[in-house]
Amino acid sequence: MKVLIIALARNNQINPNLANVLTAAHKISSVCDVLVLGAADLSKVTSYSGITSIYHAANLTSNDLLASNLTESLANIAKGYTHVLMASDSAGKDLLPRVAGFLDMGQISDVLAISSPNIFKKPMYAGNIIAEVESFDEIKFLTIRTICFDAVASSGNAAVVNKELLVDTDNKIQFVSEKLSVIETVGLASAKRIVSGGRSLGSKESFDEVIGGFAVKIGAAIGASKAAVEAGYANNDCQVGQTGKIVAPELYIAVGVSGAVQHIAGMKDSKKVLAINNDPNAQIFEYADYGYVGDLFEVIPEIMRGL
Amino acid sequence: MKVLVAAKRVVDPNVRVRVKADHSNVEIEHSKMSLNPFDENAIEEAVRLKEKGLVTEIVALSIGTIKSEETLRTALARGCDRAILVESNENYEPLNIAKIFAHIAKEEKPDLILLGKQAIDDDANQMAQMLAGKLNLPQVTCASSLDVNGNSIRVVREIDAGNETLEINLPAVISADLVLNEPRFIKLPQLMMAKKKPIEKKLAADLGLDLSAHSRLISVTDGEVKKQCKFLTNLNDVVNVIKANGV
Ligand SMILES: Cc1cc2nc3c(=O)[nH]c(=O)nc-3n(C[C@H](O)[C@H](O)[C@H](O)COP(=O)(O)OP(=O)(O)OC[C@H]3O[C@@H](n4cnc5c(N)ncnc54)[C@H](O)[C@@H]3O)c2cc1C
Ligand SMILES: Nc1ncnc2c1ncn2[C@@H]1O[C@H](COP(=O)(O)O)[C@@H](O)[C@H]1O
Repeated sequence: MKVLIIALARNNQINPNLANVLTAAHKISSVCDVLVLGAADLSKVTSYSGITSIYHAANLTSNDLLASNLTESLANIAKGYTHVLMASDSAGKDLLPRVAGFLDMGQISDVLAISSPNIFKKPMYAGNIIAEVESFDEIKFLTIRTICFDAVASSGNAAVVNKELLVDTDNKIQFVSEKLSVIETVGLASAKRIVSGGRSLGSKESFDEVIGGFAVKIGAAIGASKAAVEAGYANNDCQVGQTGKIVAPELYIAVGVSGAVQHIAGMKDSKKVLAINNDPNAQIFEYADYGYVGDLFEVIPEIMRGL
Repeated sequence: MKVLVAAKRVVDPNVRVRVKADHSNVEIEHSKMSLNPFDENAIEEAVRLKEKGLVTEIVALSIGTIKSEETLRTALARGCDRAILVESNENYEPLNIAKIFAHIAKEEKPDLILLGKQAIDDDANQMAQMLAGKLNLPQVTCASSLDVNGNSIRVVREIDAGNETLEINLPAVISADLVLNEPRFIKLPQLMMAKKKPIEKKLAADLGLDLSAHSRLISVTDGEVKKQCKFLTNLNDVVNVIKANGV
């Protein structure tokens, strides 16, 4: 058994969720290589425990890093492994199924538990259902739901081997630009606390003032329901849920969020949930540890005064 | 430009699915079914491009049981010109769906294949990428806007940290995010018109493809985690809950 984890650099950084993917990898094998694509500071990565070798293909542009351009070379590298893992984030979801499909192999998305080297658990129907599946493929391609695995310890000292990667840039696709969200710098996926707002905020101004103000006060990241995103109160990258981010903070505060299954899908693994809603029958209370029934526009300022 | 769009029949997003007593699968026999919401976005976008005069024909493809004909009628009512049903009682995994799509794409030769980013039953988010990999076509997943310029499309793609803009040359595969557009409401005349549009039927087994399974569903369990909510009546207690979290 030999595992490869692929990690893409963005802005010279490697997502710390790599440490969680490593824990998943170690449930499969103790032989575990990491392939880093793109220029990045690897000082943290080298300290992660349980890495056999780190291969670093640093000399890649944003254009080279597009899934369409990487497929063939990654498919060739994958052939040397029994399992190829990526975090189930926007890079992993984009790239790994393409490499698997190119090799005529299947892929398992959002693995949340590893029962054996070929049996995995994954969510279906917005996480209402957990399926256990067996893969028959020669190489198992898995994207890992990182909130379901702890981060490995930082007691490692892996060596970095430089790697040349041939990228297939036949100009069928070109990277033009990227716009990174300011809010994301607080890191929704790794935040300890999240304040999430819904449609009930009524306007972008109220959302920024009430949810934004509350979040700053308690050092929380900002989340939102799809309805709030659709209404333009919050950015798309704040969305929590089936089609947004999957989060598991220590404390999730849902403010004026109804608790639709698709929203619950993204936050139900939070350690503690506090829900504030003016409807005592709101579904969100069924998934909350603590509830307060009241008008958010009165309740939130009152809470902030009490803090 | 000719567009091939996907139309998967799935359990309606408002239905709460239940696990079968023997845990072999979910119970969907009598559930309300719908066109996959992300496919609605894909179809809506194709129709808008047609209304702008940029698209000449929209072909909808569904793979599923004979009941998927109903789903294709919805796609036709939404503005697709014709439909293809590849019939099978198998619940194919995304890889096999991608093989069937690739087969039909080779026959139909679309300039653009527009799919949903994920099916809301398996939540896989794989098919578009697998298809693009198989056909060796460039891909953009989770598209939130499309701007067609002759033989290329400028696509904004949603990513965890914000978004990125890519320029993709046709032929290409694009998968739609929910924010791509707001699908229109279909009216009765469109539903009536859809009845007259052609649906071509093929059997998956007749396509000459290797559709053997690459994985097996062992069992399913209920993933719901309901909690016992402690209702607080005093805001001081709410403040204390927050403070207990280290604030
Ligand atoms: C395919 C698909 C995918 C989806 N993916 C997602 C997803 O990823 N994330 C997501 O969130 N949704 C998703 N949805 C949408 C989801 O079904 C709900 O529509 C959405 O979550 C509702 O958002 P909301 O709770 O803000 O709005 P509403 O349902 O309108 O709820 C507003 C809530 O605020 C309360 N309220 C109103 N005024 C006040 C006040 N003054 N004080 C306190 N409380 C108040 C109301 O009682 C109500 O409970 C998806 C839907 C589909 C079909
Ligand atoms: N049986 C099917 N028939 C038609 N389109 C499908 C089918 N399965 C998947 N798709 C398309 O592929 C997308 C991604 O599906 P998935 O990878 O299963 O999440 C869906 O949004 C559909 O557009």
